[in-house]
Amino acid sequence: MTGTVAPPAPGPTTLASDPEAYRAALRAYLGSEASLDRWRNRHHRTTEERITEHAVLMSGLHRGRWNRYGWPADAGGLGGDERHRAILYDELSAAGLPVPEPHLMLETLGPPLVRFAPELAAELLPRYLRGEEWWGQGFSEPEAGSDLAALRCRARRDGEDYVVSGQKLWTSHGATATRLMCLVRTGTAESRHRGLTMLLIDADTPGVSVRPIALASGHNELAEVFFDDARVPARRAVGEEGGGWTVAMYLLQFERAMYAWLSSTIALRRLRELREQVGARSTHDGDAVRFAEVYADIVALRARSAETVRRLASGATVGPEASIDKVLLATAETGLHDLARELLGGDFVLSAETHAAQWRADWWYSRASTIMGGSAEVQRTILADHVLSLPKETSA
Amino acid sequence: MTTTSLDAATLDLLTGSVRELFAALPAGGDLGPALDELGWAEVAAEDPATATTLLFTEQGRSLACTRALDAVLLAELDPVLPPARGTRAVLLPTPADGDEPSRHGSTLTGVLLAPPGTVDEIVVATTHLADGERSVQLDVHPAPVLAPLAHPVQGFDTAGWVTVSGARPSSPHERIPAGTAWTAAAAAAQRALAAEILGTCDAALRIAVRHASDRRQFGRPIAEFQAVRHRLAEGLVALEGARGVLRSAWEVTDDPGGAMWAAALAKLQAGRAQARIMRDVVQVHGAMGVSREGSVHRYVSRAAALDVLLGGRRLLAESMGTAMLLTAGIDPVARL
Ligand SMILES: Cc1cc2nc3c(=O)[nH]c(=O)nc-3n(C[C@H](O)[C@H](O)[C@H](O)COP(=O)(O)OP(=O)(O)OC[C@H]3O[C@@H](n4cnc5c(N)ncnc54)[C@H](O)[C@@H]3O)c2cc1C
Repeated sequence: MTGTVAPPAPGPTTLASDPEAYRAALRAYLGSEASLDRWRNRHHRTTEERITEHAVLMSGLHRGRWNRYGWPADAGGLGGDERHRAILYDELSAAGLPVPEPHLMLETLGPPLVRFAPELAAELLPRYLRGEEWWGQGFSEPEAGSDLAALRCRARRDGEDYVVSGQKLWTSHGATATRLMCLVRTGTAESRHRGLTMLLIDADTPGVSVRPIALASGHNELAEVFFDDARVPARRAVGEEGGGWTVAMYLLQFERAMYAWLSSTIALRRLRELREQVGARSTHDGDAVRFAEVYADIVALRARSAETVRRLASGATVGPEASIDKVLLATAETGLHDLARELLGGDFVLSAETHAAQWRADWWYSRASTIMGGSAEVQRTILADHVLSLPKETSA
Repeated sequence: MTTTSLDAATLDLLTGSVRELFAALPAGGDLGPALDELGWAEVAAEDPATATTLLFTEQGRSLACTRALDAVLLAELDPVLPPARGTRAVLLPTPADGDEPSRHGSTLTGVLLAPPGTVDEIVVATTHLADGERSVQLDVHPAPVLAPLAHPVQGFDTAGWVTVSGARPSSPHERIPAGTAWTAAAAAAQRALAAEILGTCDAALRIAVRHASDRRQFGRPIAEFQAVRHRLAEGLVALEGARGVLRSAWEVTDDPGGAMWAAALAKLQAGRAQARIMRDVVQVHGAMGVSREGSVHRYVSRAAALDVLLGGRRLLAESMGTAMLLTAGIDPVARL
């Protein structure tokens, strides 16, 4: 992919203002660039290997300018909006390519950085887009899972620095991330969501240590991070001191909406691959119905999240209704992977083939779709409270 | 067709008018004149997606029984048919046949939205197989010819529909090759039915939300119990997911093949949403949900009846799943 990448025919300004022209140019490129085959049908033995390989794909996409659309020029992008990013994921998946893993967290962490810390975005986001580094999201802690506002990792102001001590847990990509966007407590222990601040902390800061955590599949998808009086410059605050919750809520719109769309494009690619893998063998009664139902759920997720992406692109704020997208996502993900498990039958459990190994690892990851980023129960409660406006819950 | 040309205020106004119209409609009443008075044809021409979805959603909400679906089918069929001698209805395929007209043979089966006596002519679509080629022919019968074969539906729902079954009338009025008109008509009707099913779901869910907030047990509204809240939230998710698919189906009407597939998918997802929502709405109502003291049973049986027209959820899933597993590619349907 080096050197040979011809710049897209229409100029960058046209593509930035015309998502469909961007799509057409991107599709032509993905369909004709032979070097991309390196990333097709690839199974990686470890998470570390996968994300490193994906970062190479990302740097190629960056050289071809493709992954810069949808990000502001000040942050290393070429302009355009969320639709460009969504089109990139859609076209990559349609072309049988992976969405580069670093983009998953970029979708969550990039927008709040651009919005609340434009100088940091200008300084650091270009490297992310180039695939030179990727970051983790440090929200959850041992005592703060669903009840995020109970978090205790502390940051004490000391001159021009914050001094951070405490622990984060379940950090995706944490084992290899260069930086961590952490929600920390700067107020009193009882201040709940009012006393929180968002900090962008370098993983190599003295006092920060990271321990990889293996998912049940054996892959180090996660990590736990310890902070032992780590000094973080105050200019690394994303938003104001005490304004961390506002930043986190802004971030969650993207985590719920863009991530849902991105996942739907991948789910459709995986459904196609599953069909190719099982198509030849005889299927059982009811398989067709199950297949169609999973497909229908993936399309429902696509339809819904496409609308949400369009709303984000128009500058609208996406409120509690984004929890609908999140629940649809969990339904589609668990449904797809349960289907794969059923259709592959004994192979799912026993086969050493790479495609079976891939489905097994993905199946474990799919179980997280009802847990991470606010569990399915938490999402339903948000919908009951804020969309259906039911009276608040009481314990029996 | 992707853009809605009606603004939000106009839409609100229209929704209000259509809702009033259904509320005032007597049982078995004719929707036509009231819609004419509203200038509906103009609205439908300007924005068919919004107009059709609105009309059928409100019909579903109100549980009204009209021949609006005939109008949707005839909008596609009339152009290939000779000029009508009076009013027309369409014989819908019997539920076991899904959206495919019954094979040509000595017997005739199907469903009518109203007794044959309420129209002058009835259009009957029939599938013909010759040399492995499948084609659909349209027979136009004078309505009285079908009257002896018609029986009021005595089923789960009392929608006022009529089943037709018996010996096929020997001399059709006219016989015309349907070309692609039948598949276009079926797709349009599936989109309308999906909207109507989701209208019943929306109404039932609202009733359940109100009931859960009012009904008190253990000294508090039952809506304060998480099991109840989460059922209702899941219902909302099912409803919104199916609505999304329906809107997507309206965005691909320019491509006939894609439009058929997407319409069937919208109908499938609406059918699945109603199954889930109605189950939970009944549960949240307790005994009231399964008795005639309450109103929810009417939504349950209407949604079930609408589900089986032109492809029930099970049949559609079976045929779409088989198509995908055996031959077809996998259509993303929803675009950005
Ligand atoms: C694969 C994966 C990746 C992750 N990546 C990240 C990351 O990058 N950064 C990060 O900060 N975190 C991450 N997480 C953590 C994730 O956000 C938390 O797991 C999640 O918030 C739930 O917290 P918990 O695991 O402590 O579960 P708990 O909060 O202990 O919940 C356990 C169960 O109780 C239920 N429950 C809890 N409260 C209620 C309630 N009020 N009503 C009803 N049911 C309730 C939950 O729904 C759940 O079923 C990740 C998790 C996974 C699995």
